[in-house]
Amino acid sequence: MIEILQWTTLIASGAATLSRIPNLVRRKNRSIFYALALLTLAILLSIDGPYLAVDALLGGANVANLLLRFIIFGAIFFLALRIAVGFGDSRGIQLIRGRTGMLALGIISAVLVVCFVLMDTSGSSAGLVDVAAKNQQNALLVEYYGAAGRAYPAYVCLAILPGMLRAIRNPLPALLRMSAALLAVGSIAIPLSLLFPLVPPGLGFLRFTVNYTAILCFVVGLALIWVASARAGRKHRPLAAKRR
Amino acid sequence: MPLPAKAFQRWLHGVAPDASVADVARASGVKRTTLAQQLVRGKVAEATVVAISRAFNMNPVAALGSFEPYWDLGKPPIPPTLQELVSQIATADLLHAIIARTEPDAGTGNGTGTDKGTAPPGLGPPPHATSVKNWVDAIDDGELRHRVSAATGVAPQNYSAQLTANRLAPELAVATSRAAGVGLASGLVAAGLVTEAEAGWPPDARQAALDGMTDGELTALAGERLQALGKALRRQEHDQRQTETIWENLG
Repeated sequence: MIEILQWTTLIASGAATLSRIPNLVRRKNRSIFYALALLTLAILLSIDGPYLAVDALLGGANVANLLLRFIIFGAIFFLALRIAVGFGDSRGIQLIRGRTGMLALGIISAVLVVCFVLMDTSGSSAGLVDVAAKNQQNALLVEYYGAAGRAYPAYVCLAILPGMLRAIRNPLPALLRMSAALLAVGSIAIPLSLLFPLVPPGLGFLRFTVNYTAILCFVVGLALIWVASARAGRKHRPLAAKRR
Repeated sequence: MPLPAKAFQRWLHGVAPDASVADVARASGVKRTTLAQQLVRGKVAEATVVAISRAFNMNPVAALGSFEPYWDLGKPPIPPTLQELVSQIATADLLHAIIARTEPDAGTGNGTGTDKGTAPPGLGPPPHATSVKNWVDAIDDGELRHRVSAATGVAPQNYSAQLTANRLAPELAVATSRAAGVGLASGLVAAGLVTEAEAGWPPDARQAALDGMTDGELTALAGERLQALGKALRRQEHDQRQTETIWENLG
Protein backbone atom coordinates (compact mmCIF):
# COMPACT_ATOMS: atom_id res chain seq x y z
CA MET A 1 0.00 0.00 0.00
CA ILE A 2 2.73 2.43 1.04
CA GLU A 3 4.82 1.33 -1.92
CA ILE A 4 1.96 2.16 -4.29
CA LEU A 5 1.60 5.62 -2.78
CA GLN A 6 5.35 6.21 -3.03
CA TRP A 7 5.61 5.20 -6.65
CA THR A 8 2.41 7.05 -7.59
CA THR A 9 3.84 10.21 -6.08
CA LEU A 10 7.12 9.64 -7.87
CA ILE A 11 5.39 9.15 -11.21
CA ALA A 12 3.11 12.18 -10.71
CA SER A 13 6.03 14.36 -9.74
CA GLY A 14 8.20 13.02 -12.59
CA ALA A 15 5.40 13.63 -15.09
CA ALA A 16 4.90 17.16 -13.77
CA THR A 17 8.63 17.80 -14.16
CA LEU A 18 8.65 16.49 -17.73
CA SER A 19 5.62 18.61 -18.60
CA ARG A 20 7.65 21.68 -17.63
CA ILE A 21 10.34 20.98 -20.24
CA PRO A 22 8.65 23.01 -23.02
CA ASN A 23 8.50 26.00 -20.67
CA LEU A 24 12.10 25.38 -19.64
CA VAL A 25 13.14 25.63 -23.28
CA ARG A 26 11.03 28.79 -23.63
CA ARG A 27 12.74 30.17 -20.52
CA LYS A 28 9.41 30.64 -18.79
CA ASN A 29 9.34 30.19 -15.01
CA ARG A 30 12.31 27.90 -15.08
CA SER A 31 12.62 27.77 -11.29
CA ILE A 32 9.47 25.64 -11.20
CA PHE A 33 11.15 23.03 -13.35
CA TYR A 34 14.19 22.95 -11.11
CA ALA A 35 12.09 22.76 -7.96
CA LEU A 36 10.02 19.91 -9.37
CA ALA A 37 13.15 18.10 -10.55
CA LEU A 38 14.58 18.40 -7.03
CA LEU A 39 11.28 17.19 -5.58
CA THR A 40 11.27 14.16 -7.88
CA LEU A 41 14.82 13.40 -6.87
CA ALA A 42 13.84 13.70 -3.22
CA ILE A 43 10.95 11.29 -3.63
CA LEU A 44 13.23 8.85 -5.45
CA LEU A 45 15.73 9.05 -2.57
CA SER A 46 13.01 8.44 0.00
CA ILE A 47 12.20 5.04 -1.50
CA ASP A 48 14.21 2.10 -0.14
CA GLY A 49 15.76 0.65 -3.32
CA PRO A 50 16.99 3.87 -4.96
CA TYR A 51 18.18 5.16 -1.60
CA LEU A 52 20.41 2.16 -0.99
CA ALA A 53 21.82 2.36 -4.51
CA VAL A 54 22.64 6.07 -4.28
CA ASP A 55 23.99 5.83 -0.76
CA ALA A 56 26.31 3.01 -1.83
CA LEU A 57 27.82 5.44 -4.34
CA LEU A 58 28.23 8.09 -1.62
CA GLY A 59 30.15 5.78 0.71
CA GLY A 60 27.37 3.92 2.50
CA ALA A 61 27.35 6.27 5.48
CA ASN A 62 23.88 7.68 4.89
CA VAL A 63 25.20 10.91 3.39
CA ALA A 64 22.39 10.41 0.90
CA ASN A 65 19.94 11.10 3.73
CA LEU A 66 21.56 14.43 4.53
CA LEU A 67 21.57 15.22 0.83
CA LEU A 68 17.88 14.30 0.67
CA ARG A 69 17.07 16.80 3.44
CA PHE A 70 18.81 19.66 1.67
CA ILE A 71 17.22 18.76 -1.65
CA ILE A 72 13.83 18.98 0.06
CA PHE A 73 14.75 22.35 1.59
CA GLY A 74 15.77 23.70 -1.79
CA ALA A 75 12.73 22.38 -3.63
CA ILE A 76 10.27 23.67 -1.04
CA PHE A 77 11.99 27.05 -0.88
CA PHE A 78 11.77 27.73 -4.61
CA LEU A 79 8.33 26.22 -5.01
CA ALA A 80 6.77 28.05 -2.07
CA LEU A 81 8.38 31.31 -3.09
CA ARG A 82 6.93 31.01 -6.62
CA ILE A 83 3.52 30.16 -5.22
CA ALA A 84 3.58 33.12 -2.83
CA VAL A 85 4.65 35.47 -5.63
CA GLY A 86 2.01 34.06 -7.97
CA PHE A 87 -0.80 34.49 -5.49
CA GLY A 88 0.38 37.98 -4.61
CA ASP A 89 0.98 37.07 -0.97
CA SER A 90 3.57 39.67 0.02
CA ARG A 91 3.59 38.58 3.66
CA GLY A 92 4.32 35.02 2.60
CA ILE A 93 7.17 36.19 0.36
CA GLN A 94 8.58 38.22 3.22
CA LEU A 95 8.39 35.26 5.62
CA ILE A 96 10.18 32.95 3.19
CA ARG A 97 12.80 35.24 1.67
CA GLY A 98 13.15 37.81 4.43
CA ARG A 99 15.43 37.73 7.44
CA THR A 100 13.17 35.42 9.47
CA GLY A 101 13.09 32.87 6.71
CA MET A 102 16.84 32.94 6.19
CA LEU A 103 17.44 32.70 9.92
CA ALA A 104 15.10 29.70 10.16
CA LEU A 105 16.85 28.03 7.24
CA GLY A 106 20.30 28.69 8.73
CA ILE A 107 19.53 27.47 12.24
CA ILE A 108 17.65 24.40 11.08
CA SER A 109 20.40 23.49 8.63
CA ALA A 110 23.01 23.85 11.35
CA VAL A 111 21.06 21.61 13.71
CA LEU A 112 20.63 19.09 10.92
CA VAL A 113 24.34 18.94 10.14
CA VAL A 114 25.42 18.84 13.80
CA CYS A 115 23.05 15.97 14.56
CA PHE A 116 24.28 14.12 11.52
CA VAL A 117 27.91 14.55 12.46
CA LEU A 118 27.33 13.43 16.05
CA MET A 119 25.57 10.27 14.86
CA ASP A 120 27.31 7.01 14.10
CA THR A 121 25.88 6.83 10.60
CA SER A 122 27.67 3.84 9.12
CA GLY A 123 25.44 1.30 7.40
CA SER A 124 23.05 2.46 4.72
CA SER A 125 19.45 2.52 5.90
CA ALA A 126 16.53 4.42 4.38
CA GLY A 127 14.90 6.62 7.01
CA LEU A 128 17.90 5.89 9.27
CA VAL A 129 15.91 3.11 10.94
CA ASP A 130 18.91 0.88 11.56
CA VAL A 131 21.04 3.83 12.64
CA ALA A 132 18.51 4.74 15.32
CA ALA A 133 18.42 1.16 16.51
CA LYS A 134 22.15 1.13 17.30
CA ASN A 135 22.06 2.79 20.72
CA GLN A 136 20.22 5.21 22.95
CA GLN A 137 22.21 8.26 21.90
CA ASN A 138 21.79 7.57 18.20
CA ALA A 139 18.05 7.08 18.63
CA LEU A 140 17.78 10.48 20.29
CA LEU A 141 19.92 12.17 17.62
CA VAL A 142 17.89 10.61 14.81
CA GLU A 143 14.77 11.97 16.47
CA TYR A 144 16.20 15.52 16.56
CA TYR A 145 17.61 15.16 13.10
CA GLY A 146 14.22 14.12 11.75
CA ALA A 147 12.48 16.96 13.56
CA ALA A 148 14.92 19.49 12.10
CA GLY A 149 14.39 18.02 8.64
CA ARG A 150 10.64 18.50 8.97
CA ALA A 151 10.83 21.89 10.65
CA TYR A 152 11.87 24.00 7.65
CA PRO A 153 9.25 22.65 5.22
CA ALA A 154 6.68 23.13 7.98
CA TYR A 155 7.77 26.73 8.49
CA VAL A 156 7.57 27.51 4.77
CA CYS A 157 4.17 25.86 4.40
CA LEU A 158 2.76 27.81 7.35
CA ALA A 159 4.10 30.96 5.69
CA ILE A 160 2.12 30.41 2.49
CA LEU A 161 -0.99 28.87 4.07
CA PRO A 162 -2.85 32.14 4.83
CA GLY A 163 -2.37 33.27 1.23
CA MET A 164 -3.80 30.00 -0.07
CA LEU A 165 -6.81 30.17 2.24
CA ARG A 166 -7.47 33.72 1.03
CA ALA A 167 -7.22 32.62 -2.60
CA ILE A 168 -9.84 29.90 -2.08
CA ARG A 169 -12.37 32.52 -1.08
CA ASN A 170 -11.43 34.95 -3.86
CA PRO A 171 -13.55 35.15 -6.99
CA LEU A 172 -10.81 33.53 -9.10
CA PRO A 173 -11.54 31.02 -11.89
CA ALA A 174 -12.78 27.73 -10.45
CA LEU A 175 -9.68 25.77 -11.47
CA LEU A 176 -7.38 28.24 -9.74
CA ARG A 177 -9.43 28.07 -6.55
CA MET A 178 -9.31 24.30 -6.70
CA SER A 179 -5.55 24.36 -7.02
CA ALA A 180 -5.32 26.86 -4.18
CA ALA A 181 -7.38 24.42 -2.09
CA LEU A 182 -5.04 21.54 -2.97
CA LEU A 183 -2.00 23.67 -2.14
CA ALA A 184 -3.64 24.61 1.15
CA VAL A 185 -4.23 20.94 2.02
CA GLY A 186 -0.58 20.27 1.26
CA SER A 187 0.52 23.22 3.38
CA ILE A 188 -1.53 21.91 6.28
CA ALA A 189 -0.34 18.32 5.92
CA ILE A 190 3.38 19.12 5.99
CA PRO A 191 3.34 20.99 9.34
CA LEU A 192 1.31 18.07 10.71
CA SER A 193 4.41 15.95 10.09
CA LEU A 194 5.98 17.74 13.08
CA LEU A 195 3.63 15.68 15.24
CA PHE A 196 5.02 12.40 13.91
CA PRO A 197 6.98 11.56 17.07
CA LEU A 198 3.63 11.47 18.90
CA VAL A 199 2.13 8.96 16.46
CA PRO A 200 1.99 5.50 18.08
CA PRO A 201 4.28 2.98 16.30
CA GLY A 202 1.30 0.88 15.23
CA LEU A 203 0.04 3.73 13.08
CA GLY A 204 3.35 4.23 11.28
CA PHE A 205 1.62 4.14 7.91
CA LEU A 206 0.05 7.50 8.82
CA ARG A 207 3.45 9.16 8.43
CA PHE A 208 3.79 7.98 4.88
CA THR A 209 0.22 8.81 4.02
CA VAL A 210 0.53 12.38 5.28
CA ASN A 211 3.91 12.95 3.60
CA TYR A 212 3.06 11.63 0.18
CA THR A 213 -0.47 13.04 0.16
CA ALA A 214 1.03 16.45 0.84
CA ILE A 215 3.43 16.14 -2.08
CA LEU A 216 0.67 14.83 -4.36
CA CYS A 217 -1.52 17.79 -3.40
CA PHE A 218 1.27 20.21 -4.29
CA VAL A 219 2.06 18.56 -7.62
CA VAL A 220 -1.58 18.20 -8.70
CA GLY A 221 -2.38 21.71 -7.50
CA LEU A 222 0.42 23.16 -9.61
CA ALA A 223 -0.57 21.04 -12.60
CA LEU A 224 -4.12 22.42 -12.37
CA ILE A 225 -2.75 25.95 -12.66
CA TRP A 226 -1.02 25.00 -15.92
CA VAL A 227 -4.21 23.44 -17.21
CA ALA A 228 -6.12 26.62 -16.38
CA SER A 229 -3.43 28.80 -17.89
CA ALA A 230 -3.25 26.74 -21.08
CA ARG A 231 -7.02 26.92 -21.44
CA ALA A 232 -7.16 30.65 -20.84
CA GLY A 233 -4.23 31.13 -23.21
CA ARG A 234 -6.22 29.56 -25.99
CA LYS A 235 -9.26 31.67 -25.19
CA HIS A 236 -7.78 35.11 -24.51
CA ARG A 237 -4.60 35.17 -26.56
CA PRO A 238 -5.34 33.84 -30.01
CA LEU A 239 -2.57 36.05 -31.41
CA ALA A 240 0.13 34.54 -29.23
CA ALA A 241 -1.12 31.08 -30.12
CA LYS A 242 -0.99 31.83 -33.84
CA ARG A 243 2.56 33.05 -33.69
CA ARG A 244 3.81 29.71 -32.42
CA MET B 1 -39.07 26.24 -7.49
CA PRO B 2 -39.86 24.43 -10.74
CA LEU B 3 -43.43 23.37 -11.40
CA PRO B 4 -44.64 19.82 -10.70
CA ALA B 5 -44.83 17.73 -13.88
CA LYS B 6 -48.34 16.52 -13.09
CA ALA B 7 -49.76 20.03 -12.94
CA PHE B 8 -47.82 20.87 -16.08
CA GLN B 9 -49.29 17.89 -17.98
CA ARG B 10 -52.78 18.94 -16.91
CA TRP B 11 -52.10 22.50 -18.05
CA LEU B 12 -50.57 21.37 -21.34
CA HIS B 13 -53.61 19.17 -22.00
CA GLY B 14 -55.81 22.23 -21.58
CA VAL B 15 -53.62 24.33 -23.90
CA ALA B 16 -52.93 21.83 -26.65
CA PRO B 17 -55.03 18.70 -26.16
CA ASP B 18 -53.80 16.84 -29.22
CA ALA B 19 -50.14 17.91 -29.34
CA SER B 20 -47.43 15.34 -28.63
CA VAL B 21 -44.31 16.22 -26.66
CA ALA B 22 -42.42 16.45 -29.97
CA ASP B 23 -45.02 18.86 -31.40
CA VAL B 24 -44.88 21.05 -28.34
CA ALA B 25 -41.09 21.06 -28.41
CA ARG B 26 -41.02 22.02 -32.08
CA ALA B 27 -43.58 24.78 -31.68
CA SER B 28 -42.04 26.31 -28.57
CA GLY B 29 -38.36 25.96 -29.46
CA VAL B 30 -37.66 24.08 -26.21
CA LYS B 31 -35.31 21.19 -26.95
CA ARG B 32 -37.21 17.92 -27.00
CA THR B 33 -34.64 16.23 -24.79
CA THR B 34 -34.81 19.10 -22.29
CA LEU B 35 -38.58 18.89 -22.12
CA ALA B 36 -38.55 15.10 -21.80
CA GLN B 37 -35.97 15.29 -19.04
CA GLN B 38 -37.95 17.87 -17.11
CA LEU B 39 -41.04 15.66 -17.37
CA VAL B 40 -39.15 12.57 -16.21
CA ARG B 41 -37.63 14.42 -13.25
CA GLY B 42 -41.08 15.72 -12.36
CA LYS B 43 -39.91 19.34 -12.32
CA VAL B 44 -40.73 21.64 -15.21
CA ALA B 45 -38.91 24.95 -15.46
CA GLU B 46 -40.96 28.14 -15.55
CA ALA B 47 -39.12 29.14 -18.73
CA THR B 48 -40.58 26.05 -20.43
CA VAL B 49 -44.11 27.13 -19.58
CA VAL B 50 -43.33 30.64 -20.82
CA ALA B 51 -41.97 29.35 -24.15
CA ILE B 52 -44.91 27.01 -24.71
CA SER B 53 -47.54 29.59 -23.83
CA ARG B 54 -45.93 32.02 -26.29
CA ALA B 55 -46.02 29.34 -28.98
CA PHE B 56 -49.76 28.90 -28.42
CA ASN B 57 -50.46 32.64 -28.27
CA MET B 58 -51.21 32.71 -24.58
CA ASN B 59 -49.99 35.29 -22.11
CA PRO B 60 -47.07 33.65 -20.25
CA VAL B 61 -47.84 35.49 -17.04
CA ALA B 62 -51.40 34.23 -17.08
CA ALA B 63 -50.11 30.75 -17.93
CA LEU B 64 -47.81 30.78 -14.90
CA GLY B 65 -50.77 32.02 -12.87
CA SER B 66 -52.58 28.75 -13.51
CA PHE B 67 -49.98 26.95 -11.37
CA GLU B 68 -50.47 26.83 -7.64
CA PRO B 69 -47.20 28.52 -6.55
CA TYR B 70 -48.01 31.46 -8.83
CA TRP B 71 -51.79 31.56 -8.37
CA ASP B 72 -51.78 35.31 -7.68
CA LEU B 73 -50.17 36.08 -11.04
CA GLY B 74 -53.61 35.44 -12.55
CA LYS B 75 -55.11 38.41 -10.69
CA PRO B 76 -55.43 41.75 -12.51
CA PRO B 77 -51.94 43.28 -12.67
CA ILE B 78 -50.82 46.18 -10.49
CA PRO B 79 -49.20 48.83 -12.73
CA PRO B 80 -45.46 49.29 -12.27
CA THR B 81 -44.19 52.21 -10.19
CA LEU B 82 -42.11 54.98 -11.75
CA GLN B 83 -39.02 53.72 -9.93
CA GLU B 84 -39.53 50.24 -11.30
CA LEU B 85 -39.93 51.55 -14.83
CA VAL B 86 -36.78 53.64 -14.60
CA SER B 87 -34.86 50.75 -13.05
CA GLN B 88 -35.43 48.77 -16.24
CA ILE B 89 -33.76 51.38 -18.46
CA ALA B 90 -30.19 50.45 -19.34
CA THR B 91 -27.44 52.73 -18.03
CA ALA B 92 -26.34 53.51 -21.58
CA ASP B 93 -29.88 54.67 -22.41
CA LEU B 94 -29.88 56.94 -19.34
CA LEU B 95 -26.63 58.47 -20.55
CA HIS B 96 -28.03 58.90 -24.05
CA ALA B 97 -30.96 60.74 -22.51
CA ILE B 98 -28.63 63.06 -20.60
CA ILE B 99 -26.63 63.82 -23.73
CA ALA B 100 -29.79 64.43 -25.74
CA ARG B 101 -31.07 66.82 -23.09
CA THR B 102 -27.86 68.82 -22.92
CA GLU B 103 -27.49 69.24 -26.70
CA PRO B 104 -27.60 72.98 -27.47
CA ASP B 105 -30.76 72.68 -29.55
CA ALA B 106 -32.49 70.33 -27.17
CA GLY B 107 -36.11 71.22 -26.63
CA THR B 108 -36.46 72.87 -30.03
CA GLY B 109 -37.89 69.68 -31.37
CA ASN B 110 -36.60 68.06 -34.52
CA GLY B 111 -35.20 71.39 -35.76
CA THR B 112 -33.68 71.37 -39.18
CA GLY B 113 -33.40 67.66 -39.68
CA THR B 114 -29.70 67.91 -40.49
CA ASP B 115 -28.61 66.75 -37.04
CA LYS B 116 -29.39 63.08 -37.46
CA GLY B 117 -28.41 60.94 -34.52
CA THR B 118 -28.96 63.53 -31.83
CA ALA B 119 -32.50 62.36 -31.23
CA PRO B 120 -32.40 59.84 -28.37
CA PRO B 121 -32.59 56.32 -29.73
CA GLY B 122 -35.42 54.13 -28.49
CA LEU B 123 -34.88 52.39 -25.18
CA GLY B 124 -33.47 48.87 -25.29
CA PRO B 125 -35.92 46.26 -24.03
CA PRO B 126 -35.42 44.91 -20.50
CA PRO B 127 -33.54 43.18 -19.07
CA HIS B 128 -30.26 45.12 -19.09
CA ALA B 129 -26.93 44.17 -17.52
CA THR B 130 -27.91 45.13 -13.96
CA SER B 131 -31.69 44.81 -14.27
CA VAL B 132 -32.26 42.57 -11.30
CA LYS B 133 -30.25 44.54 -8.78
CA ASN B 134 -31.61 47.89 -9.97
CA TRP B 135 -35.17 46.60 -9.75
CA VAL B 136 -34.75 45.31 -6.20
CA ASP B 137 -33.02 48.54 -5.18
CA ALA B 138 -35.91 50.49 -6.73
CA ILE B 139 -38.54 48.76 -4.58
CA ASP B 140 -36.45 48.15 -1.45
CA ASP B 141 -37.64 49.95 1.68
CA GLY B 142 -34.58 48.77 3.60
CA GLU B 143 -36.13 45.59 4.99
CA LEU B 144 -37.16 43.95 1.73
CA ARG B 145 -34.27 41.49 1.52
CA HIS B 146 -34.93 40.22 5.03
CA ARG B 147 -38.63 39.76 4.32
CA VAL B 148 -37.94 37.84 1.09
CA SER B 149 -35.42 35.67 2.85
CA ALA B 150 -37.83 34.97 5.69
CA ALA B 151 -40.70 34.21 3.31
CA THR B 152 -38.74 31.89 1.02
CA GLY B 153 -36.13 30.40 3.34
CA VAL B 154 -33.38 31.46 0.92
CA ALA B 155 -30.32 32.67 2.83
CA PRO B 156 -29.70 36.43 2.43
CA GLN B 157 -26.21 35.88 1.02
CA ASN B 158 -27.56 33.53 -1.67
CA TYR B 159 -30.23 36.06 -2.55
CA SER B 160 -27.60 38.81 -2.78
CA ALA B 161 -25.40 36.58 -4.92
CA GLN B 162 -28.23 36.18 -7.43
CA LEU B 163 -28.78 39.94 -7.56
CA THR B 164 -25.09 40.57 -8.14
CA ALA B 165 -25.00 37.97 -10.92
CA ASN B 166 -28.09 39.61 -12.50
CA ARG B 167 -30.06 36.40 -12.06
CA LEU B 168 -33.28 35.88 -10.16
CA ALA B 169 -35.17 32.61 -9.92
CA PRO B 170 -38.84 33.14 -10.94
CA GLU B 171 -40.04 31.99 -7.55
CA LEU B 172 -37.78 34.54 -5.84
CA ALA B 173 -38.79 37.26 -8.29
CA VAL B 174 -42.46 36.79 -7.45
CA ALA B 175 -41.72 36.45 -3.73
CA THR B 176 -39.83 39.76 -3.91
CA SER B 177 -42.80 41.44 -5.61
CA ARG B 178 -45.14 40.08 -2.97
CA ALA B 179 -42.89 41.26 -0.14
CA ALA B 180 -42.63 44.73 -1.67
CA GLY B 181 -46.31 44.96 -2.58
CA VAL B 182 -45.62 45.85 -6.21
CA GLY B 183 -46.84 44.33 -9.47
CA LEU B 184 -46.19 40.59 -9.31
CA ALA B 185 -44.80 40.22 -12.81
CA SER B 186 -42.25 43.05 -12.51
CA GLY B 187 -39.57 40.78 -11.14
CA LEU B 188 -40.11 38.39 -14.02
CA VAL B 189 -39.49 41.29 -16.40
CA ALA B 190 -36.28 42.24 -14.59
CA ALA B 191 -35.17 38.61 -14.61
CA GLY B 192 -35.81 38.48 -18.36
CA LEU B 193 -38.39 35.68 -18.17
CA VAL B 194 -41.24 37.72 -19.68
CA THR B 195 -41.35 40.94 -21.70
CA GLU B 196 -42.73 44.20 -20.35
CA ALA B 197 -45.75 43.91 -22.65
CA GLU B 198 -46.49 40.41 -21.35
CA ALA B 199 -46.32 41.74 -17.80
CA GLY B 200 -48.96 44.30 -18.70
CA TRP B 201 -46.71 47.35 -18.66
CA PRO B 202 -48.16 50.03 -20.95
CA PRO B 203 -46.09 50.56 -24.09
CA ASP B 204 -43.71 53.51 -23.76
CA ALA B 205 -44.26 53.53 -20.00
CA ARG B 206 -40.52 53.46 -19.44
CA GLN B 207 -39.94 56.28 -21.93
CA ALA B 208 -42.66 58.32 -20.23
CA ALA B 209 -41.11 57.68 -16.82
CA LEU B 210 -37.74 58.76 -18.19
CA ASP B 211 -39.18 61.91 -19.74
CA GLY B 212 -40.85 62.71 -16.43
CA MET B 213 -37.55 62.82 -14.58
CA THR B 214 -35.96 66.20 -13.96
CA ASP B 215 -32.42 66.77 -15.18
CA GLY B 216 -31.24 66.54 -11.59
CA GLU B 217 -32.96 63.25 -10.90
CA LEU B 218 -31.76 61.76 -14.15
CA THR B 219 -28.17 62.87 -13.65
CA ALA B 220 -28.09 61.67 -10.05
CA LEU B 221 -29.48 58.27 -11.05
CA ALA B 222 -27.03 57.89 -13.92
CA GLY B 223 -24.25 58.88 -11.54
CA GLU B 224 -25.27 56.18 -9.09
CA ARG B 225 -25.38 53.63 -11.86
CA LEU B 226 -21.95 54.65 -13.15
CA GLN B 227 -20.48 54.50 -9.69
CA ALA B 228 -21.79 50.97 -9.14
CA LEU B 229 -20.61 49.96 -12.59
CA GLY B 230 -17.17 51.42 -11.95
CA LYS B 231 -16.90 49.49 -8.70
CA ALA B 232 -17.88 46.23 -10.38
CA LEU B 233 -15.47 46.80 -13.25
CA ARG B 234 -12.62 47.63 -10.89
CA ARG B 235 -13.28 44.47 -8.92
CA GLN B 236 -13.29 42.47 -12.14
CA GLU B 237 -10.05 44.04 -13.29
CA HIS B 238 -8.46 43.33 -9.94
CA ASP B 239 -9.44 39.67 -10.13
CA GLN B 240 -8.20 39.53 -13.70
CA ARG B 241 -4.85 41.00 -12.69
CA GLN B 242 -4.56 38.53 -9.85
CA THR B 243 -5.27 35.64 -12.20
CA GLU B 244 -2.67 36.91 -14.63
CA THR B 245 -0.06 37.19 -11.88
CA ILE B 246 -0.68 33.56 -11.03
CA TRP B 247 -0.22 32.50 -14.64
CA GLU B 248 2.83 34.65 -15.10
CA ASN B 249 4.56 33.13 -12.09
CA LEU B 250 3.23 29.61 -12.05
CA GLY B 251 2.02 29.04 -15.59
